[in-house]
Amino acid sequence: MIVGTQKPLQEIVSSVSEYHKVLVVGCGTCVTVCLTGGDKEARRLAAALDQEFSRKENPPSFDVLTIERQCERDWIASFLEIPNDTDAILSLACGAGVQTLAAVYKDLPVIPALNTTFLGALDRPGEWNEKCVGCGDCILTHTGGICPVALCAKRLFNGPCGGTLNGKCEISAVIGREVDCAWYLIIERLSRLGKLDEYHKIRQPKDWSAETAAGPRTLVHTG
Amino acid sequence: MSFFKVNEKCNGCLACVQNCPAGALNYMDKDASRKIYHNLSLCARCGNCWRICPQAAIDFQQLLRGGWDEVIEMELIHCMVCGEPVYTTGVGKTLSEKLEREVAALCPEHKKSFPLNTWKRIAQGRGLHTGNGK
Repeated sequence: MIVGTQKPLQEIVSSVSEYHKVLVVGCGTCVTVCLTGGDKEARRLAAALDQEFSRKENPPSFDVLTIERQCERDWIASFLEIPNDTDAILSLACGAGVQTLAAVYKDLPVIPALNTTFLGALDRPGEWNEKCVGCGDCILTHTGGICPVALCAKRLFNGPCGGTLNGKCEISAVIGREVDCAWYLIIERLSRLGKLDEYHKIRQPKDWSAETAAGPRTLVHTG
Repeated sequence: MSFFKVNEKCNGCLACVQNCPAGALNYMDKDASRKIYHNLSLCARCGNCWRICPQAAIDFQQLLRGGWDEVIEMELIHCMVCGEPVYTTGVGKTLSEKLEREVAALCPEHKKSFPLNTWKRIAQGRGLHTGNGK
């Protein structure tokens, strides 16, 4: 799923301070599940903003609505009821949702309340970890289902670098938390599967044009 | 049918209600009883309820697999030649209205292979329906 984290409150305060009536919009799918942008978080954020502006002159008012998915243009146009006099929307969706709202409400500024951070999975209750960067040319068949594009800090394709130690990446010391070496995990997994020969195969260079190098990507189903 | 099911271990502690990120679980205490409610439209099916339930009382598999609720039942029109269902009487009526003529009930296979009157004669010979399911 898409994982987002809420921006620092003061950054949001600064973004909305020039408006009078702000609609805070939660999103009911990915960011609800990762506990950062659902209805509860939208209400909590509105309350926090109310509190922040309580001692200021002409504070903005904050209404809250949540829609199941902010990335569905027709849903938004049909079902999201914007209160009268709303002069800005504060969205708790990912970047796709924010941009969809902006596309539908052409005359309203749409402000992100989250930083969209990664495509991840729930590894433990309350802990989401990055798994995929959406590179558009999946190589998981050859890497034991573990992605070096997402999990290796250097995006290496030919095995571990010299910065790996006891299965951990050298960035662990820099960022202050232990990070597994992606290639340590890949080799361990291929060994378990009896497919270590996959590691020794020489492959064509990866097609990076399938990532954003060739511009925004699109998927169109016809017929 | 209910998509959210709990087993006999549920003791009504409300951990699921308090921890549902989508606000899809609720409860009501009235007189001597507590009722727990689930709203499938709000449910993100994230599994948080199942994950945190201290009693292991939630049958999350039921919520994932679900079941089919009947939405509506309608009368069908069948192909006048082979009896294959082709559309509902409602669709036949809409088609006839839009085209301003009676639409012959033919499946894709029999629609264009012979002139319509030929099929009508064959169908009458077989004692099959010859139009709009009648």
